[in-house]
Amino acid sequence: MSKKICLLPCNGLDKALGVITREVSLKVIEKDSSIDLICPVLYNTNEKKYDEILKDAQIIVIDGCSTRCAAKLADMKGQKISKRIFIPDMTKKFQLRPGKKLVLDIDGEKLVEKIAEEIFTEFITELTTVTEKKEERKFVGVEYFEITVDKYHFRVPKEGYYFNENDCWAKIEGKTALVGITDYFQNKAGDVIFVDLPTIETKIEQFDEVADFESVKALLQLISPVSGNIIDVNNELENSPEFLNCDAYEQGWVAEIELADLEEDKELLMDGPTYFEYMKRKIVEEN
Amino acid sequence: MAEKYDATTATFMGVPRKEIPWWPTIDYEKCNYCMDCDKFCPHKVFERRDEEEKKLIVKNLYNCVVFCRACAKMCEPDALIFPNKKEIIKLIKEIRKRDEV
Repeated sequence: MSKKICLLPCNGLDKALGVITREVSLKVIEKDSSIDLICPVLYNTNEKKYDEILKDAQIIVIDGCSTRCAAKLADMKGQKISKRIFIPDMTKKFQLRPGKKLVLDIDGEKLVEKIAEEIFTEFITELTTVTEKKEERKFVGVEYFEITVDKYHFRVPKEGYYFNENDCWAKIEGKTALVGITDYFQNKAGDVIFVDLPTIETKIEQFDEVADFESVKALLQLISPVSGNIIDVNNELENSPEFLNCDAYEQGWVAEIELADLEEDKELLMDGPTYFEYMKRKIVEEN
Repeated sequence: MAEKYDATTATFMGVPRKEIPWWPTIDYEKCNYCMDCDKFCPHKVFERRDEEEKKLIVKNLYNCVVFCRACAKMCEPDALIFPNKKEIIKLIKEIRKRDEV
Protein backbone atom coordinates (compact mmCIF):
# COMPACT_ATOMS: atom_id res chain seq x y z
CA MET A 1 0.00 0.00 0.00
CA SER A 2 1.29 3.44 -0.78
CA LYS A 3 1.90 5.91 1.98
CA LYS A 4 -0.34 8.75 2.99
CA ILE A 5 0.31 12.20 1.57
CA CYS A 6 0.52 15.43 3.56
CA LEU A 7 0.87 19.01 2.40
CA LEU A 8 2.99 21.46 4.35
CA PRO A 9 2.62 24.97 2.90
CA CYS A 10 4.63 27.89 4.26
CA ASN A 11 1.35 29.77 4.51
CA GLY A 12 3.26 33.05 4.38
CA LEU A 13 0.77 35.80 5.07
CA ASP A 14 3.04 38.71 4.26
CA LYS A 15 3.84 37.88 0.65
CA ALA A 16 1.61 37.30 -2.34
CA LEU A 17 3.34 34.02 -3.21
CA GLY A 18 3.05 32.88 0.40
CA VAL A 19 -0.70 33.33 0.11
CA ILE A 20 -0.59 31.17 -3.01
CA THR A 21 0.83 28.25 -1.00
CA ARG A 22 -2.18 28.35 1.29
CA GLU A 23 -4.68 28.57 -1.55
CA VAL A 24 -3.01 25.74 -3.46
CA SER A 25 -3.15 23.51 -0.39
CA LEU A 26 -6.82 24.27 0.19
CA LYS A 27 -7.58 23.54 -3.45
CA VAL A 28 -5.79 20.19 -3.31
CA ILE A 29 -7.50 18.93 -0.16
CA GLU A 30 -10.84 20.11 -1.52
CA LYS A 31 -10.31 17.78 -4.48
CA ASP A 32 -8.96 14.87 -2.47
CA SER A 33 -9.91 14.70 1.16
CA SER A 34 -7.58 11.78 1.86
CA ILE A 35 -4.68 14.22 1.68
CA ASP A 36 -3.83 15.88 4.98
CA LEU A 37 -2.95 19.49 5.48
CA ILE A 38 -0.40 20.54 8.07
CA CYS A 39 -0.65 24.01 9.53
CA PRO A 40 2.94 25.23 9.87
CA VAL A 41 2.14 27.45 12.84
CA LEU A 42 0.52 24.69 14.86
CA TYR A 43 3.13 22.18 13.76
CA ASN A 44 5.84 24.51 14.97
CA THR A 45 4.37 25.01 18.41
CA ASN A 46 2.72 21.65 19.01
CA GLU A 47 4.10 18.96 16.77
CA LYS A 48 2.42 16.20 18.76
CA LYS A 49 -0.86 17.20 17.15
CA TYR A 50 0.49 15.78 13.91
CA ASP A 51 2.15 12.65 15.26
CA GLU A 52 -0.53 10.34 13.94
CA ILE A 53 -0.82 12.02 10.52
CA LEU A 54 2.91 12.19 9.95
CA LYS A 55 3.56 8.58 10.85
CA ASP A 56 4.66 6.99 7.57
CA ALA A 57 3.49 9.97 5.55
CA GLN A 58 5.06 11.47 2.46
CA ILE A 59 5.33 15.22 2.77
CA ILE A 60 4.95 17.69 -0.07
CA VAL A 61 6.36 21.01 1.02
CA ILE A 62 5.15 24.21 -0.65
CA ASP A 63 7.29 27.32 -0.27
CA GLY A 64 6.45 30.77 -1.56
CA CYS A 65 9.87 32.37 -1.34
CA SER A 66 13.53 31.60 -0.90
CA THR A 67 13.36 31.86 2.86
CA ARG A 68 11.84 28.39 2.50
CA CYS A 69 10.09 28.38 5.86
CA ALA A 70 8.18 25.17 5.15
CA ALA A 71 11.25 23.20 4.03
CA LYS A 72 13.22 24.48 7.01
CA LEU A 73 10.41 23.63 9.39
CA ALA A 74 10.24 20.06 8.08
CA ASP A 75 14.00 19.80 8.36
CA MET A 76 13.98 21.20 11.89
CA LYS A 77 11.40 18.61 12.91
CA GLY A 78 13.48 15.85 11.36
CA GLN A 79 10.91 15.08 8.67
CA LYS A 80 11.91 13.88 5.22
CA ILE A 81 10.58 15.96 2.36
CA SER A 82 9.27 13.81 -0.47
CA LYS A 83 8.50 16.59 -2.92
CA ARG A 84 8.94 20.28 -2.81
CA ILE A 85 7.13 22.98 -4.72
CA PHE A 86 8.77 26.36 -5.02
CA ILE A 87 6.17 28.86 -6.20
CA PRO A 88 8.64 31.13 -8.06
CA ASP A 89 9.49 28.13 -10.28
CA MET A 90 5.80 27.77 -11.00
CA THR A 91 5.25 31.43 -11.86
CA LYS A 92 8.00 31.03 -14.46
CA LYS A 93 6.71 27.71 -15.72
CA PHE A 94 3.14 28.90 -16.20
CA GLN A 95 4.04 32.49 -17.05
CA LEU A 96 1.55 33.76 -14.50
CA ARG A 97 2.62 36.60 -12.26
CA PRO A 98 0.27 37.48 -9.44
CA GLY A 99 0.49 41.09 -8.22
CA LYS A 100 1.94 42.09 -4.89
CA LYS A 101 -1.43 42.36 -3.18
CA LEU A 102 -2.11 39.82 -0.50
CA VAL A 103 -5.44 38.77 -1.94
CA LEU A 104 -5.68 36.62 -5.06
CA ASP A 105 -5.98 38.46 -8.35
CA ILE A 106 -6.89 36.82 -11.67
CA ASP A 107 -3.36 35.58 -12.37
CA GLY A 108 -3.16 34.35 -8.80
CA GLU A 109 -6.32 32.32 -9.17
CA LYS A 110 -5.14 30.81 -12.45
CA LEU A 111 -1.80 29.98 -10.89
CA VAL A 112 -3.45 28.24 -7.93
CA GLU A 113 -5.51 26.16 -10.34
CA LYS A 114 -2.46 25.22 -12.44
CA ILE A 115 -0.28 24.28 -9.47
CA ALA A 116 -3.02 22.22 -7.84
CA GLU A 117 -3.43 20.37 -11.14
CA GLU A 118 0.31 19.83 -11.36
CA ILE A 119 0.37 18.43 -7.83
CA PHE A 120 -2.13 15.80 -8.86
CA THR A 121 -0.77 14.95 -12.29
CA GLU A 122 2.93 15.01 -11.45
CA PHE A 123 3.67 14.71 -7.79
CA ILE A 124 0.89 12.64 -6.32
CA THR A 125 0.89 10.20 -9.23
CA GLU A 126 4.60 9.71 -8.74
CA LEU A 127 4.37 9.33 -4.98
CA THR A 128 1.52 6.84 -5.10
CA THR A 129 2.98 4.70 -7.87
CA VAL A 130 4.74 1.88 -6.14
CA THR A 131 8.00 1.54 -7.97
CA GLU A 132 10.06 -1.55 -7.74
CA LYS A 133 13.08 -0.89 -5.66
CA LYS A 134 15.96 -0.50 -8.04
CA GLU A 135 19.01 -2.53 -7.55
CA GLU A 136 21.52 -0.59 -5.52
CA ARG A 137 24.53 0.70 -7.41
CA LYS A 138 27.66 -1.17 -6.59
CA PHE A 139 30.84 0.71 -5.93
CA VAL A 140 33.56 -1.83 -5.54
CA GLY A 141 36.84 -0.93 -3.90
CA VAL A 142 36.99 2.77 -4.68
CA GLU A 143 40.29 4.04 -3.29
CA TYR A 144 40.65 7.57 -2.04
CA PHE A 145 43.18 10.32 -1.49
CA GLU A 146 42.32 11.84 1.89
CA ILE A 147 43.07 15.04 3.75
CA THR A 148 41.68 16.61 6.93
CA VAL A 149 41.71 20.38 7.42
CA ASP A 150 40.32 21.66 10.72
CA LYS A 151 37.13 19.72 11.27
CA TYR A 152 36.63 19.01 7.58
CA HIS A 153 37.54 15.75 5.95
CA PHE A 154 38.01 15.57 2.19
CA ARG A 155 38.33 12.55 -0.05
CA VAL A 156 38.98 12.29 -3.78
CA PRO A 157 38.74 8.97 -5.66
CA LYS A 158 42.10 7.99 -7.10
CA GLU A 159 40.88 6.38 -10.30
CA GLY A 160 37.86 6.07 -12.57
CA TYR A 161 36.43 9.52 -11.84
CA TYR A 162 36.84 12.76 -13.80
CA PHE A 163 36.31 16.21 -12.33
CA ASN A 164 35.54 19.73 -13.49
CA GLU A 165 36.51 22.92 -11.72
CA ASN A 166 32.96 23.26 -10.48
CA ASP A 167 33.72 20.49 -7.99
CA CYS A 168 31.53 17.91 -9.68
CA TRP A 169 32.54 14.42 -10.79
CA ALA A 170 31.71 11.89 -13.48
CA LYS A 171 32.44 8.20 -12.95
CA ILE A 172 32.84 6.61 -16.33
CA GLU A 173 31.23 3.22 -16.77
CA GLY A 174 31.59 2.30 -20.41
CA LYS A 175 29.12 4.32 -22.47
CA THR A 176 27.49 5.96 -19.48
CA ALA A 177 28.67 7.96 -16.50
CA LEU A 178 27.34 8.61 -13.03
CA VAL A 179 27.65 12.23 -11.93
CA GLY A 180 27.75 13.83 -8.51
CA ILE A 181 29.40 16.42 -6.31
CA THR A 182 32.77 16.24 -4.56
CA ASP A 183 33.56 16.29 -0.85
CA TYR A 184 34.88 19.82 -1.25
CA PHE A 185 31.51 20.88 -2.67
CA GLN A 186 29.46 19.20 0.03
CA ASN A 187 31.65 20.56 2.82
CA LYS A 188 31.19 24.03 1.45
CA ALA A 189 27.46 23.65 1.00
CA GLY A 190 26.78 22.36 4.50
CA ASP A 191 23.95 19.95 5.20
CA VAL A 192 21.91 19.44 2.07
CA ILE A 193 18.21 19.46 2.90
CA PHE A 194 16.73 19.11 -0.54
CA VAL A 195 17.74 17.98 -4.01
CA ASP A 196 15.87 18.96 -7.13
CA LEU A 197 16.56 16.04 -9.47
CA PRO A 198 16.39 16.36 -13.25
CA THR A 199 13.87 14.68 -15.51
CA ILE A 200 14.98 11.48 -17.21
CA GLU A 201 15.54 11.87 -20.97
CA THR A 202 16.79 15.45 -20.61
CA LYS A 203 19.65 16.21 -22.98
CA ILE A 204 22.45 18.18 -21.43
CA GLU A 205 25.60 19.84 -22.66
CA GLN A 206 28.84 19.80 -20.73
CA PHE A 207 28.63 22.41 -17.93
CA ASP A 208 24.83 22.52 -17.95
CA GLU A 209 23.14 22.27 -14.57
CA VAL A 210 21.99 18.75 -13.73
CA ALA A 211 20.45 19.31 -10.32
CA ASP A 212 19.96 21.99 -7.67
CA PHE A 213 20.88 21.47 -4.04
CA GLU A 214 19.55 23.43 -1.17
CA SER A 215 21.35 23.59 2.09
CA VAL A 216 20.41 25.84 4.96
CA LYS A 217 23.11 28.21 3.74
CA ALA A 218 22.82 28.33 -0.01
CA LEU A 219 21.43 27.12 -3.30
CA LEU A 220 24.05 25.28 -5.33
CA GLN A 221 24.13 23.45 -8.62
CA LEU A 222 25.65 20.28 -9.97
CA ILE A 223 27.36 21.47 -13.15
CA SER A 224 27.77 18.48 -15.42
CA PRO A 225 31.31 17.38 -16.28
CA VAL A 226 29.96 15.50 -19.30
CA SER A 227 27.44 15.92 -22.10
CA GLY A 228 24.73 13.44 -22.99
CA ASN A 229 21.30 12.20 -22.14
CA ILE A 230 20.06 11.70 -18.58
CA ILE A 231 18.93 8.09 -18.33
CA ASP A 232 18.54 7.61 -14.59
CA VAL A 233 18.42 9.62 -11.37
CA ASN A 234 19.12 8.63 -7.79
CA ASN A 235 15.64 8.86 -6.28
CA GLU A 236 17.05 7.75 -2.95
CA LEU A 237 18.34 11.30 -2.53
CA GLU A 238 14.79 12.61 -2.26
CA ASN A 239 14.39 10.73 0.98
CA SER A 240 18.01 10.76 2.05
CA PRO A 241 19.74 13.94 0.84
CA GLU A 242 22.31 13.32 3.59
CA PHE A 243 24.01 10.80 1.25
CA LEU A 244 25.39 13.84 -0.53
CA ASN A 245 27.18 14.88 2.62
CA CYS A 246 28.23 11.54 4.03
CA ASP A 247 28.95 9.54 0.86
CA ALA A 248 29.29 12.02 -2.00
CA TYR A 249 31.16 9.71 -4.37
CA GLU A 250 29.12 6.53 -4.03
CA GLN A 251 25.59 6.46 -2.59
CA GLY A 252 25.40 10.21 -3.21
CA TRP A 253 25.50 9.82 -7.01
CA VAL A 254 22.91 12.09 -8.58
CA ALA A 255 22.26 11.06 -12.16
CA GLU A 256 23.36 8.67 -14.86
CA ILE A 257 24.19 10.10 -18.24
CA GLU A 258 24.51 8.33 -21.55
CA LEU A 259 27.68 9.89 -22.88
CA ALA A 260 27.58 11.94 -26.07
CA ASP A 261 31.26 12.76 -26.59
CA LEU A 262 33.51 11.87 -23.69
CA GLU A 263 36.74 12.50 -25.58
CA GLU A 264 35.69 16.09 -26.30
CA ASP A 265 34.46 16.56 -22.70
CA LYS A 266 37.74 15.27 -21.29
CA GLU A 267 39.57 18.25 -22.75
CA LEU A 268 38.17 20.32 -19.88
CA LEU A 269 38.30 17.70 -17.10
CA MET A 270 40.83 16.60 -14.49
CA ASP A 271 41.69 13.12 -13.28
CA GLY A 272 41.77 12.15 -9.58
CA PRO A 273 45.37 13.10 -8.72
CA THR A 274 45.08 16.45 -10.55
CA TYR A 275 41.77 17.31 -8.90
CA PHE A 276 43.16 16.38 -5.48
CA GLU A 277 46.02 18.86 -5.96
CA TYR A 278 43.61 21.50 -7.29
CA MET A 279 41.29 20.99 -4.30
CA LYS A 280 44.15 21.19 -1.80
CA ARG A 281 45.27 24.49 -3.34
CA LYS A 282 41.77 25.87 -2.97
CA ILE A 283 41.58 24.77 0.66
CA VAL A 284 44.95 26.35 1.44
CA GLU A 285 43.93 29.63 -0.24
CA GLU A 286 40.80 29.75 1.87
CA ASN A 287 42.50 29.21 5.19
CA MET B 1 34.82 27.79 5.56
CA ALA B 2 36.07 31.31 5.03
CA GLU B 3 36.00 32.72 1.55
CA LYS B 4 39.28 34.30 0.55
CA TYR B 5 39.32 34.52 -3.15
CA ASP B 6 41.69 36.61 -5.17
CA ALA B 7 40.26 37.31 -8.60
CA THR B 8 43.51 38.83 -9.83
CA THR B 9 45.34 35.52 -9.64
CA ALA B 10 42.42 33.09 -9.94
CA THR B 11 42.13 30.82 -12.93
CA PHE B 12 39.38 28.63 -14.31
CA MET B 13 40.62 25.61 -16.23
CA GLY B 14 43.99 27.26 -16.57
CA VAL B 15 42.48 30.45 -17.99
CA PRO B 16 42.81 33.69 -16.00
CA ARG B 17 39.39 34.29 -14.43
CA LYS B 18 39.59 37.92 -15.57
CA GLU B 19 39.46 36.79 -19.20
CA ILE B 20 36.17 34.94 -18.75
CA PRO B 21 33.16 37.26 -18.93
CA TRP B 22 30.79 35.12 -16.83
CA TRP B 23 28.57 36.87 -14.30
CA PRO B 24 24.91 37.86 -14.01
CA THR B 25 23.51 41.12 -15.31
CA ILE B 26 20.52 42.61 -13.51
CA ASP B 27 17.53 43.61 -15.62
CA TYR B 28 16.42 46.60 -13.56
CA GLU B 29 13.07 46.71 -15.36
CA LYS B 30 12.26 43.37 -13.78
CA CYS B 31 14.20 43.32 -10.50
CA ASN B 32 11.96 43.82 -7.45
CA TYR B 33 14.87 44.07 -4.99
CA CYS B 34 13.78 41.03 -3.01
CA MET B 35 17.53 40.41 -2.48
CA ASP B 36 17.14 36.63 -2.59
CA CYS B 37 20.08 36.36 -5.00
CA ASP B 38 22.29 38.24 -2.57
CA LYS B 39 21.09 36.17 0.38
CA PHE B 40 21.78 32.85 -1.26
CA CYS B 41 24.92 33.49 -3.29
CA PRO B 42 27.78 32.24 -1.11
CA HIS B 43 30.34 34.09 -3.24
CA LYS B 44 29.35 37.70 -2.52
CA VAL B 45 28.85 38.58 -6.17
CA PHE B 46 26.14 41.13 -5.40
CA GLU B 47 26.22 44.25 -3.25
CA ARG B 48 23.28 46.09 -1.73
CA ARG B 49 23.08 49.86 -2.09
CA ASP B 50 20.20 50.74 0.17
CA GLU B 51 20.55 54.48 -0.31
CA GLU B 52 20.76 54.46 -4.09
CA GLU B 53 18.24 54.14 -6.88
CA LYS B 54 19.72 50.83 -7.98
CA LYS B 55 19.56 49.10 -4.63
CA LEU B 56 21.49 46.08 -5.83
CA ILE B 57 24.49 45.85 -8.11
CA VAL B 58 26.73 43.10 -9.44
CA LYS B 59 29.85 44.08 -7.54
CA ASN B 60 32.38 41.26 -7.59
CA LEU B 61 32.15 40.05 -11.16
CA TYR B 62 34.99 37.58 -10.92
CA ASN B 63 33.76 35.98 -7.72
CA CYS B 64 30.95 34.48 -9.77
CA VAL B 65 31.52 30.77 -10.31
CA VAL B 66 31.89 30.14 -14.03
CA PHE B 67 28.80 28.24 -15.29
CA CYS B 68 26.84 28.59 -12.02
CA ARG B 69 23.38 30.07 -12.56
CA ALA B 70 21.86 29.35 -9.17
CA CYS B 71 20.85 32.98 -8.58
CA ALA B 72 18.92 33.12 -11.86
CA LYS B 73 17.19 29.90 -10.94
CA MET B 74 15.85 31.35 -7.73
CA CYS B 75 15.05 34.82 -9.09
CA GLU B 76 11.29 35.05 -9.04
CA PRO B 77 10.91 37.97 -11.49
CA ASP B 78 13.51 36.39 -13.83
CA ALA B 79 15.69 39.48 -13.68
CA LEU B 80 19.15 37.90 -13.90
CA ILE B 81 20.74 37.32 -17.27
CA PHE B 82 23.81 35.20 -17.96
CA PRO B 83 26.02 35.03 -21.06
CA ASN B 84 25.68 32.22 -23.58
CA LYS B 85 27.36 29.15 -22.11
CA LYS B 86 28.48 27.70 -25.45
CA GLU B 87 30.28 30.89 -26.39
CA ILE B 88 32.06 30.96 -23.05
CA ILE B 89 33.21 27.34 -23.48
CA LYS B 90 34.47 28.22 -26.95
CA LEU B 91 36.36 31.19 -25.55
CA ILE B 92 37.91 29.11 -22.76
CA LYS B 93 39.09 26.52 -25.28
CA GLU B 94 40.59 29.23 -27.50
CA ILE B 95 42.48 30.82 -24.63
CA ARG B 96 43.73 27.40 -23.48
CA LYS B 97 45.05 26.83 -26.97
CA ARG B 98 46.67 30.26 -27.05
CA ASP B 99 48.33 29.73 -23.69
CA GLU B 100 49.07 26.06 -24.38
CA VAL B 101 47.41 24.93 -21.16
